[in-house]
Amino acid sequence: MAAEGASANGTTPGERHAIGISFGNSNSSIAYTTNEDKAEVIANEDGDRQIPSILSYVDGEEYNGQQAKQQLIRNSKNTVAYFRDFLGQNFKSIDPTHCHASAHPKEHDGTIAFIIQDKEEGGPSVVTISEVATRQLKRLAQSASDFTGKQVNSAVITVPTNFSEKQKAALTKAANDAGLEVLQLISEPIASLLAYDARLEAKVADKIVVVADLGGTRSDVAVIASRGGMYTILATAHDYEYAGVQLDKVLQDHFAKEFIKWNTTDPRENARSLAKLKLEAEATKKALSIGTNANFSVESLAEGIDFASTINRLRYETIARKVFDGFNRLIEGVVKKAGLDVLEIDEVILSGGTSHTPKIASNMSAIFPPTTTILAPSTTPTAINPAELQARGAALQASLIQEYEKEDIEQSTHPAVTTVKHLTNAIGVMTITGDSDKGLFTPIIAAETAVPARRTIHIATPKEGGDVLIKIVEGGSHIKVSKPEPKTKTNGEKSKGEDGSDDSDEDDSDDGPEDVREKVWKVGNVLAEAAIKGVKKGGKIEVMINVAGDLAVTVTCREVGGKGGVRGNLAAP
Amino acid sequence: MATHTQVNLPLPVLPETWSGEKDFKAIGKLSAATQRSIEPVGPHFLAHARRARHKRTFSEDDR
Ligand SMILES: Nc1ncnc2c1ncn2[C@@H]1O[C@H](COP(=O)(O)OP(=O)(O)OP(=O)(O)O)[C@@H](O)[C@H]1O
Ligand SMILES: [Mg+2]
Repeated sequence: MAAEGASANGTTPGERHAIGISFGNSNSSIAYTTNEDKAEVIANEDGDRQIPSILSYVDGEEYNGQQAKQQLIRNSKNTVAYFRDFLGQNFKSIDPTHCHASAHPKEHDGTIAFIIQDKEEGGPSVVTISEVATRQLKRLAQSASDFTGKQVNSAVITVPTNFSEKQKAALTKAANDAGLEVLQLISEPIASLLAYDARLEAKVADKIVVVADLGGTRSDVAVIASRGGMYTILATAHDYEYAGVQLDKVLQDHFAKEFIKWNTTDPRENARSLAKLKLEAEATKKALSIGTNANFSVESLAEGIDFASTINRLRYETIARKVFDGFNRLIEGVVKKAGLDVLEIDEVILSGGTSHTPKIASNMSAIFPPTTTILAPSTTPTAINPAELQARGAALQASLIQEYEKEDIEQSTHPAVTTVKHLTNAIGVMTITGDSDKGLFTPIIAAETAVPARRTIHIATPKEGGDVLIKIVEGGSHIKVSKPEPKTKTNGEKSKGEDGSDDSDEDDSDDGPEDVREKVWKVGNVLAEAAIKGVKKGGKIEVMINVAGDLAVTVTCREVGGKGGVRGNLAAP
Repeated sequence: MATHTQVNLPLPVLPETWSGEKDFKAIGKLSAATQRSIEPVGPHFLAHARRARHKRTFSEDDR
């Protein structure tokens, strides 16, 4: 398949037909943007939008996606699965665990390869990881070309935040070999965030977002400062112990044990039975994301015996609790790692196929305060399909940059442009509360905002107007913990708890009500003061703060609708 | 873009004794900042990169 005139390293912008690709160990996904700049995920020829990243060969014919996945039962040796993370790695550094039931990765010429019968005639071939990835990407590009009616020749591809430069180079090469110019590799959590922020109803806001990407073989979490539509990753965490396949395993073991009760063999001890068990366990798991009951049924599971059973969601959530707790720990841990408190998280985006699970979303609602928006299908009806977020984000980015010359893209993504100063404290203005002469900090620019930055706010003045003081200060947020006022009637409640008639919740309810935790501002450095005189009754003041790349500050204040105003500068520190 | 955050708590009254040249008094400087990387993704980043490459300010960019 010649990639019609597409030299891999720099198609001219006018000739580009770009898509977004998310390429996971478990699934791949492709998306394009419509003429209305909306991202849409493309279904492949089987009608799948989540395309298993699997290749299988039968009599020299290549199968991909769901069809290749089915081959794990009968043709596992010639089926290559769970390989994305092997790109650009040494054999010694990979974890081949997930390839037990398919073609095994082997060390070959300093790289990793699979030995598979991929041709009808002759012996098996050695297919390097680079070639496997190229074949997978070719299939994706072909599906996208068939769908859009145009030969796709360029792409934005998402990668985990811990992908090394070597891994990125290997992925780029594999894509180039598939006839795709890589416009840009972007971080998976950022792609998910962009997919949400690109929605028409989304407002540009300053917010702290946690993106939890729960996939099949890995779980990745990032804490992101989103400031005026610009994104800075504050912390990340990765976990390979708790992900989607562990949930499959819980169900697999559950039904295997049930089978053993009535029969003599353990279906897990035979490779083919195990493969069937696994596939059905995954299907049952997915059904439990929608229904409160799901069937499990496999023809000829072992020794020619058919097996059918059911499970309800509550039971599933109980037996899978260890895995769900693992997700919780990972997510709570990365918030701490970012030096933040759950109270400071504005949004949690649940991304990746496993994020369809209702229990995971409800756990997030329990961990985070009610002020945190949990974006998942079961908590927010307007949530975007978590399995589609990355491909959509990649497609949006592709449409943003496909008109650019290759050189311009490279210049813009260069560290000289992306590495910039970020504010350590918020900058704000002092306002007064009704009851005391004590001021209250009102933020104008949030901490962790990249500079240069500019923000404007409108503030009320005293009822009668007159002369007002604008005091610009730095502020730091911290968490205040206080004991709630002791209630007088706790006696009655306590005895109820003590005699065990009411084992309210998991945490030790003995030591009274929980501490009250709240986010409060601590006023720091005073930066400047300005006066606006003769404000009319009911007037408002506009304060604009502009921080330059070198941290010099310009403050501009004026009465809204009034003329003139005050302007002053603070030198760079 | 012209919607700004609205704050309802009022500004304090200017103390009688306050004075400043042209009604402005520079008092301090910003605390040291942290070097971090912004992700080169999204429309707002592209606007940032454009300003950076052409060495333009926000207000020059607005025009
Ligand atoms: N509706 C659903 N309910 C629960 N789990 C689901 C659902 N849909 C998909 N999954 C699970 O999501 C996982 C795949 O997630 P995703 O497609 O994000 O994978 P990936 O990023 O390719 O994975 P990897 O972590 O292996 O790189 C699988 O374990 C799959 O069973
Ligand atoms: Mg993934």
